[in-house]
Amino acid sequence: MPHPASSPPQSPRSVAIVGAGIVGMSAAHFLSRAGWQVTVYDAGAPASGATGSADGAVSIASKKPGPLMTLAVAAVRFYEHLTETGILGDEYLPRSTFVVASDQEELGVLERHASHLEASGVSIRLLKGAALTGAIGAAAPSAIAAVEVQGEGHAVGYRVVERLRRLGGFPIRRNCRVSGFNFSKGRIVGVVTEDGVEPTDAVLLATGLGSASFLSGLGPIRPRKGQLIVTDRAGADAPSFPGPLMSCRYLVSKGSQAAPGVTESRSLGLVIDPLRTGQFLIGGSREDRDDRETTDADVVATLLRDAVELAPSLAQLRVIRVFAGLRAATSDGLPIVGRVGGAENLWIATGFEGDGICLGPLMGRLCQQMICGEPVAHDISSLDAARFGLSLATAA
Amino acid sequence: MTRFHQTFSFDGTPVACTDNETIASALDRAGIRVLGPGQNDCAGRYFCGIGACQACVVSVDGTRMEACLTPARAGLFVQRIGSGAS
Amino acid sequence: MSAEVLVIGGGPAGASAALHLARAGLHVTLCEQGPRLGGALHRQPDDPAQRIRVPRAQSQRWRALSTALEASSVQILCRHMFAGIEGGGTVLLEDRASGRLVTRRPAALVLALGAVERVTPLPGWQLPGVTTVGGLQVMMKSTGQAPDGDVLVAGSGPLLLALAAQMAALGKAPVAVLERSPKLVSPSVIASLITAPAYLREASHYLLALARAGALPQHGTWVRAISPRDGRLAVTIVDRHGRDRELVVDRVALHDGLLPNQNGTAAPSNGPFVVRAGDCREVLGGVAAMADGRHAAKAVLAHLGRSTEAEPSATRVLSRERRAQAAINALYDYSGADPAWLPDETVICRCEGRTLGQLRDLLASSDPVSAREIKLNGRFGMGACQGRFCAEWVAAFIAAQRDGEPPAVSEIIGSRWPVKPVPISAFVTLPPSRPSE
Ligand SMILES: Cc1cc2nc3c(=O)[nH]c(=O)nc-3n(C[C@H](O)[C@H](O)[C@H](O)COP(=O)(O)OP(=O)(O)OC[C@H]3O[C@@H](n4cnc5c(N)ncnc54)[C@H](O)[C@@H]3O)c2cc1C
Ligand SMILES: Cc1cc2nc3c(=O)[nH]c(=O)nc-3n(C[C@H](O)[C@H](O)[C@H](O)COP(=O)(O)OP(=O)(O)OC[C@H]3O[C@@H](n4cnc5c(N)ncnc54)[C@H](O)[C@@H]3O)c2cc1C
Ligand code: FES
Repeated sequence: MPHPASSPPQSPRSVAIVGAGIVGMSAAHFLSRAGWQVTVYDAGAPASGATGSADGAVSIASKKPGPLMTLAVAAVRFYEHLTETGILGDEYLPRSTFVVASDQEELGVLERHASHLEASGVSIRLLKGAALTGAIGAAAPSAIAAVEVQGEGHAVGYRVVERLRRLGGFPIRRNCRVSGFNFSKGRIVGVVTEDGVEPTDAVLLATGLGSASFLSGLGPIRPRKGQLIVTDRAGADAPSFPGPLMSCRYLVSKGSQAAPGVTESRSLGLVIDPLRTGQFLIGGSREDRDDRETTDADVVATLLRDAVELAPSLAQLRVIRVFAGLRAATSDGLPIVGRVGGAENLWIATGFEGDGICLGPLMGRLCQQMICGEPVAHDISSLDAARFGLSLATAA
Repeated sequence: MTRFHQTFSFDGTPVACTDNETIASALDRAGIRVLGPGQNDCAGRYFCGIGACQACVVSVDGTRMEACLTPARAGLFVQRIGSGAS
Repeated sequence: MSAEVLVIGGGPAGASAALHLARAGLHVTLCEQGPRLGGALHRQPDDPAQRIRVPRAQSQRWRALSTALEASSVQILCRHMFAGIEGGGTVLLEDRASGRLVTRRPAALVLALGAVERVTPLPGWQLPGVTTVGGLQVMMKSTGQAPDGDVLVAGSGPLLLALAAQMAALGKAPVAVLERSPKLVSPSVIASLITAPAYLREASHYLLALARAGALPQHGTWVRAISPRDGRLAVTIVDRHGRDRELVVDRVALHDGLLPNQNGTAAPSNGPFVVRAGDCREVLGGVAAMADGRHAAKAVLAHLGRSTEAEPSATRVLSRERRAQAAINALYDYSGADPAWLPDETVICRCEGRTLGQLRDLLASSDPVSAREIKLNGRFGMGACQGRFCAEWVAAFIAAQRDGEPPAVSEIIGSRWPVKPVPISAFVTLPPSRPSE
């Protein structure tokens, strides 16, 4: 183990992490473990962004084939690793995801997606007939087939953040919006907040949707709203849900698999997620809107109609809450992770759309490796900010 | 005069009720205080009487509703949440 | 056709608002979640032989109001629960009889949802057999019978007296009435109540009934803990001198004041014009609620551009009742048990079964965790009652730990629809929307 003191003398020692979502908090944890003096800034509180209003599928099942699917496989393994080493306690719950097809067209999409998953090394099981009803007691008779995607799981974003907060090692500045930076010789030397300027040797922007204000070329990051429904608890007598049920339509809504004629500004794809509490999280919408305060009955009723069609026993439960979150979407569906032009000690990790709970801890680790100048464990060249020509907005 | 000539079923047991009372008051008269399993040892029970606390929610003919707001009627099929036969 | 106005809540405030709006020529619908109108105060069994005493002047006024309402054009929908105003501005109503969700787009919405009782936590408050004071009263009013078994009434406030006296009138006084406030009536309070003699009359009537039954309130006395024992409830009582004693009873009724029932009633920007009325706006009691209903009607009429007459009498009633309530509240102590006394096992959030120990743990570090983090990680305010019984207490507890202002209760409960849990089976009855806008 290299002792911190043995690092090169010019190596930066303090790092400012802007954003206390799952990505920023993971990076903070690993950088602090690597001997850095970390300060986390958040305009609100930990998990007050997308991380606190998300579902927690740590899942490969819905990923777009390609780099995202490959990274998701690594991210799930990383959750397992963090569980084995005790860092995450029992926050990660391993379980399978079930993608269900209800008609022939969906079956076609399902089979195509299943072959991509297998090609990425994911173990899957095709369920039909008695095997289907045996595995998923709650599935409606109309389900014609399902793919069980094995070896993945669930983690609640805000709980992961709370776990990392409790492990500690760094201060969190709440209600402390970072408005800009001070520069010297092409480097950031200070973080500017309402409370003044604090010196720093390096900066990581893990600001989710807030990233746009730091970057010139606002274009690539757009809010994509998602509405989620929380039910009360199922009774002890409820039919079994071995894991989340995802309708094949969800893959289409997420853009993971194309379907003809889907170009709406709003799409609904169904996931019924049985939570550890016995409640269900039912989602979600993808809307090109940026208001997270409102939720609408139309979206909720549509999702619930689909949910009851897929799992009729849900009709016995009640909706106790509906909430919305904003995903930070990029135009090519991939996150932005790496260096940003404009300062040589600035890194960014944003644009995780609907995948940041899954990818967050791994990305935090990779950010730590980049910032420490260590070899980066996975190929993330396709996530480079350069593909959008992003650089730091100079006007602070 | 109060009439008790009708009953509804609560977890399979007949419970007498009048024409003008709620499921909650009929259960109370029958000495039934625990209305559901609840969470972490906090059993379901009658508490606020006005539909606010949600502690008295039972399944009435398959739909969850507050026992304190729901009129008792002959023949209703009332169950504690999670008590089977769903 | 005239604009539709929706009034929610069939208590004195909602009934009076609905009647006045209908008289002004508007098309009014009055929704009540329960099977009957009357609200918290005027809920009565159908059998007139079993009526529970409500102050005569008030019950006469209510009878007049409900008779006028029946004769009016107001459409009355019982068993219709207001579920909230969704993001598009549409009002959602759950029709309990048919199990359907109904949507409305009224020009204005009057929310007269009444009050919710406060019950501050103490060990055992979550047990079956423990109710709110009002809850026990509601049951008694709807059956016309005193609750069976030995009943202990505790906490603080005039509602303790009302319940105990009503029980005594039915021949079954509580075994004890424990009033936390050490105060007895002081001359200054009497002086301020002189302007509202009805309350003095009501109180003396109650006290007389309790004196006859040998169940006068014991002042300065409170409940430390309740625990189950052989199917009954063993209650540890702390008397005026700080000494513990134990009483074994069948029921305990608790009450520490009233709060406006405002969860999720904030108006979205694109929804109908919203007015709150009665205890839902400000807890001032039944007399004020009727006057406040008139006020709300006037605000709606003004909003719709109808000419309205001034309501000097309603304004006068409200300020008189505000003074009277302030004088009454000064007599009582709604603080509940000192949290420092409470053991870690004390349940704070009954819905989720969350304890004081878990709340203390979240606040233990020097890190100033936000109310939202406490909500998310502690699950306080996340249960089915949506924080109606814990959010205010949790907010005050956080503030006390930090010597600060309490965080906004809305940080703990949010301000979202549904106002109350809605069955999924009702949601699926909503007709699918027109193809996307
Ligand atoms: C409805 C919904 C469902 C989802 N479901 C899943 C799922 O099942 N699985 C999955 O993997 N992912 C899911 N996601 C996506 C996931 O939530 C996000 O990708 C992830 O939380 C992103 O984390 P983050 O740390 O990048 O951003 P955030 O959590 O948004 O954190 C950014 C933080 O930066 C702070 N900030 C911004 N600007 C500033 C500034 N100038 N100064 C200081 N602080 C600032 C914000 O306050 C915020 O706390 C879902 C998202 C939504 C909305
Ligand atoms: C349990 C209880 C007992 C009380 N007992 C007394 C007493 O004995 N003496 C006294 O002076 N004061 C009493 N009060 C105070 C009482 O609130 C006022 O005196 C008076 O009733 C206030 O009138 P209101 O119209 O504002 O509200 P309420 O009379 O409470 O009427 C509100 C109405 O709204 C309905 N409602 C609530 N939420 C919804 C919804 N989402 N959808 C549809 N309908 C809804 C309720 O069912 C209720 O009928 C009591 C309060 C409570 C909570
Ligand atoms: S007793 Fe509180 S909701 Fe029924």
